[in-house]
Amino acid sequence: MNDQFDGMTIVRKAVEALRAAGADKAQAGFSRGSQNEMNIDAGKLSLYRSTVNVSLSLKALVDGRKGVSSLNKYDDDSIRQAAAEAVDMARSSEPDPANDISPGRPLECFDNGITKADSDTMYTRLQDFLAYSKEQYPITQLEQCILDFGRGESFFANSNGAEFEDRGGLYNFSAMFTSKDGGNASSFNYSGAVQKNLDKALQDWGSIDLLMSQSAEQTLASSIDGSFEGDLLIAPDCLGDFVGMLDGVYTSDYPLITGTSPWVDALGKPVVSPLLTIRSQPNSDQLAVQQPYTGDGFRTEDCLLIEQGILRNFTLGLYGANKSGKPRCPSGGGNIVIDGGSSGWQDLVSDVKRGLLLVRFSGGRPSDNGDFSGVAKNSYLIENGKIVRPVGETMIAGNLAQLFSNIKAVSKERINYGSAILPWLLAGPVDISGK
Amino acid sequence: MKYADIRRHGALFSEYTELRVQEYRSITAGTLNGDVIANNRSASGGMSARVYKDGLWGFASTPESSDAAIRAAILQATENARFLGSKAGRKTAPLPCRPGIGERSLATSKPRLDQKAYIDFVRTIDAYLATQYPFMKSRMVQASTADYEKTLLSSDGAESYSLIPRSLVYASLTMEHEGEPFDLYEIFGGAGQFEDLFDRPETLYPKLDVLAERLQQKAKGVYAKPGEHEVILDSDLAGILAHEAIGHTVEADLVLGGSVAADYMGKTVASPLVTLVDFANTALGRLCPVPLWIDDEGTDARDAILIQDGVLKSYMHNKESAAHFGVEPTGNARAYGFYDEPLIRMRNTAILPGNSKLADMIASVDNGYYFLQSSNGQADSTSEFMFGVVMGYEIKNGKLGAAVRDCTISGVAFSMLQTISMISDDMSWTGAGMCGKKQSIPVGMGGPAIKCRINVGGRA
Repeated sequence: MNDQFDGMTIVRKAVEALRAAGADKAQAGFSRGSQNEMNIDAGKLSLYRSTVNVSLSLKALVDGRKGVSSLNKYDDDSIRQAAAEAVDMARSSEPDPANDISPGRPLECFDNGITKADSDTMYTRLQDFLAYSKEQYPITQLEQCILDFGRGESFFANSNGAEFEDRGGLYNFSAMFTSKDGGNASSFNYSGAVQKNLDKALQDWGSIDLLMSQSAEQTLASSIDGSFEGDLLIAPDCLGDFVGMLDGVYTSDYPLITGTSPWVDALGKPVVSPLLTIRSQPNSDQLAVQQPYTGDGFRTEDCLLIEQGILRNFTLGLYGANKSGKPRCPSGGGNIVIDGGSSGWQDLVSDVKRGLLLVRFSGGRPSDNGDFSGVAKNSYLIENGKIVRPVGETMIAGNLAQLFSNIKAVSKERINYGSAILPWLLAGPVDISGK
Repeated sequence: MKYADIRRHGALFSEYTELRVQEYRSITAGTLNGDVIANNRSASGGMSARVYKDGLWGFASTPESSDAAIRAAILQATENARFLGSKAGRKTAPLPCRPGIGERSLATSKPRLDQKAYIDFVRTIDAYLATQYPFMKSRMVQASTADYEKTLLSSDGAESYSLIPRSLVYASLTMEHEGEPFDLYEIFGGAGQFEDLFDRPETLYPKLDVLAERLQQKAKGVYAKPGEHEVILDSDLAGILAHEAIGHTVEADLVLGGSVAADYMGKTVASPLVTLVDFANTALGRLCPVPLWIDDEGTDARDAILIQDGVLKSYMHNKESAAHFGVEPTGNARAYGFYDEPLIRMRNTAILPGNSKLADMIASVDNGYYFLQSSNGQADSTSEFMFGVVMGYEIKNGKLGAAVRDCTISGVAFSMLQTISMISDDMSWTGAGMCGKKQSIPVGMGGPAIKCRINVGGRA
């Protein structure tokens, strides 16, 4: 493959074509990705997959009306046709002054990671992982594991003169597993992480080995009796889901445009516990994944979302910011890093009178008012400061804002997933119920 | 458009090989509180080759469909299979085949709508909602259509072409009650192009009125009580039960991966009232929401009767799992994009109707819940499942009571199925589902109402 694919020429052509077709403002993004992937299914190597794809997106604004056309071709005729289509679509739409493109800035180029998959080492790492899991966790079955190398090149231009070029190559590994012991079976669990190279054994990526080490004992899970109010010690894999739900309900485009977020006027004010600091760090060297520019054409800047409980930024994009009248998120909202606390996560267990170590959460979409409920999966009952046993058929229910306002501690240990860094977090109470 | 003369590429096959040329096209228009926030068209196409050798698969795809690109992809897929085979090859039974040959298109014969028609459609619905329900805090409406077009050739004799579209209209409302926001949504549509499914926006008004009425009830509603309860699950929830709680556990690849269903073949796993089928394309004389005649391995697709009268009868299979279990493939191998390999996926999964009346079922519950609508669901290899419930009512002394705010229900399917004591004599489908299992893919789910016992995650 050509490692220096000239995508800038394509996006510049697309912007010119949009302008020629009648767009007042124009924006184009082009990406080209190749992927090499090896799969384990049911404990055996199964598939070696090589894919290539491209994507070109053209956005036209005509008198504040927007049209977007996307395709996976980039020859001149296809670009001209897509540009004409986007402009026609914009003319069919309705004006909205919030539609806009980012201001001009000179071309910036970024390069992160390697250019070519090392297939032999990928194979060796997977075989080593298979052997390790068989030896260490003999009753744990690998349902599906995927090791892939993705090389991505993306290019952006708009008619204000903003231009970006970003190339990267990263390895991604995910493992899904379950345990069976006679007639007893555990819930499946899974995790994954991103790395720039294959230097580390796969079980040492993210939280994979920790979660695999818990799987066998979870074959003995059973429900709790009745219901009670208790605390949650939320494990890092699960905390990522909760932070995502928090964003979806309180700080992202939809709740702020519609005004349903109770935090709509809370910038600079305390909204959750002072023990919580959430950063968005798309340029952090601590993370394998980097996101140098946003999809709407801004250079990203690392920023605080919540600082010691105080809301510092929403995660609004350009349209959401224009529409809601609130500031755009300088980071784009990705690459979440949560500050660690001072206690070891296992020490936090001793602070819990009665509650759960919540390792995975299988829940419904939270309501607009922040209410959530779901099943505690791969989780453990904590009583009088000790982990007592794994639980199954156990449900939790609460409210997101209340949960994050009632944080009792954050662990000093954190897991680096390559795209996020997350600790354990102790909060509560929530409603916990069994059968 | 059908890819012409795909058969000529068969000369490049040197091992068991599938060649698939595919295009995906979509149109979306959406409004939020009257503003057009989505006005998009997209098209992406390409081809893939998959090769099987020594028990291992090689796969390659490219967005190009020139003869040279197809040749290169077939060679790359072959090389990938040989790379793995040289290191970890194993002796396996030959892949069984029941090759499908044919063409199916659900394209409309009506003139195609332009983009403005989609925008006008959603704006008309939005204007209706704004006029009728001015107290709503937000309104979101979206109309979309997607065409999945595939041409397939396999080295064991399959050759097929299909154009299976899906069109949907989504409406979501949010209102405030005592300072708190509450939301509810509904999705309409299924198989077919927009022109064939949605004649005029006005035809949806009665259903939108029901949506608005239910949301108002929910906003004033109560939290469900936690614990195990006797409940009636309406067809929407019975459908997701069939898909998530049972369907996934009997996908043969997940059976091999550790599903508890591995131990249950031929055993009673449900009340004898329960018969559960994954339909290929037609159920009870009607076209299913996600019809499939020939799967993406080229197998002539058949219905998979998974549970019959309470007894587990079959798993869902692709060719490789069928070879492993020594049975015929069921035609459940499906891929989403041209760049995706076929996986064992459900098609249209449903519990079959019984002979009870819904009104009698509700009347038979002293203290429980009637759950109508789900938001999402997840399942486990243990058959433990979870569904989000966004609309339901209390049942007190056989009568519907207060509406219930959002909650989650859960259970262990192969235990919970034993508690089913009544099944209604009607049935409905939803064609809006997407199932995520490495790839996200459209699925159909359906069923009657069922009476059972289930765990409710509510507020104490």
